[in-house]
Amino acid sequence: MDLAALKTQLKNFVQSMFEEGVLDNQFSQIQALQDSTNPNFVEEVITLFCNDAERIINEINRNLGYQNVDFSNLDSYVHQLKGSSSSIGANRLKLACANLRQASDERNKEGCLQALQLITCEYCLLRRKFQALLHLERSIVELETNQK
Amino acid sequence: MAPTLPSSDQASDQDNWDNGRLARKRQLLIEIVLRNRLTALVVDGDTTCRVLEQLLLRSYGVQTQGVDNGRDAVALIASGVKFDLIIIDMILPVLNGLEATRQIRDMGVHCKMLGVTICSGESERQVFLAAGVDVFIEKPLDPEHLVPILRELDGQ
Repeated sequence: MDLAALKTQLKNFVQSMFEEGVLDNQFSQIQALQDSTNPNFVEEVITLFCNDAERIINEINRNLGYQNVDFSNLDSYVHQLKGSSSSIGANRLKLACANLRQASDERNKEGCLQALQLITCEYCLLRRKFQALLHLERSIVELETNQK
Repeated sequence: MAPTLPSSDQASDQDNWDNGRLARKRQLLIEIVLRNRLTALVVDGDTTCRVLEQLLLRSYGVQTQGVDNGRDAVALIASGVKFDLIIIDMILPVLNGLEATRQIRDMGVHCKMLGVTICSGESERQVFLAAGVDVFIEKPLDPEHLVPILRELDGQ
C-alpha cells in the first residue's frame, strides 16, 4: 500500500473512532501536539495512558475483591482513571468511569462490580483500536523513512 | 535503490494531507505568541494528565515543572520557587488539592491558580474557589480556556 493510501486509511480509522464515540475531540488536540520536535508523541502518550489505565483497573479489581471495600480509596482510583481518560479523549471509557463513581458514592459494591465490568470492556476495545492506530502510524513512518 | 519522486497526483495528495493537518493544528491549538517567558507548575497525581498539561503549556512556550502530589507542591513553593501560573487538581495523593491550595495561598502566593479537575459539580467548584483557585476548569485543560489566561499573564 502506498504512503498516501496508508495516511488515508489512518485518517479514516481515527474518524471511525470519533463516530463510534470511542474518542472525542480531545484526541485531536493530542494529535495536533505531535510535530517534528515530538515525532512520537502520540505513541508515547497512548503507551503512558494504557500502562496507567491497566494498573488502575487492576487496583480497582483488587479493592473490590475485599469483603469490606475501602470506598474512599476506590474513589481516588476512579478519579485518576476518569481524569486520564478525559485528558486523552477516551470518551466511552470516561463515561464508564462515571458509572463506577456513582456506584462508589452510593457505597454499592454490586453496582461497582458491574461498572468495573463495563470499564474493562471499554478499555479492552480502546486498547485494540489504539494498537491498530499505532500499527498504521508506524507503517507510515517506515514508508516515509524509506522514501527519504 | 534510489528514491523515486512521487507522481504529481501522489504529491498533491501528500501536500493536501500535510497542509490539512497543519491547518487543523493551527485551528486546534489557537496560535499565540508570548512576549514574556512564563513559568508554570502542574500539580496532578495522574501521569497522563500531568504530561499532557505540561506539554500543552510548553507548546505555547511556557516553562513548566510538574509534581504528582500536594505536599511536594507546597514544599516547592515554600522553598522559594516562583511561578506565574499553578495548575492544580482537586484530588491529589498525600495532601489533597484543596488543602495544598490553602497552604500555598497562606504563604502569601498571589499567582494565578487554575483548579483543573474531573469533578464537575457546582459544590466542588465553590469549594475549590473558596480554597483559593482563581479559575475552576473541568478536565481536560484545553486551549480555549488556557490561551486567554496566558494572554492575560503575558500582559496582552
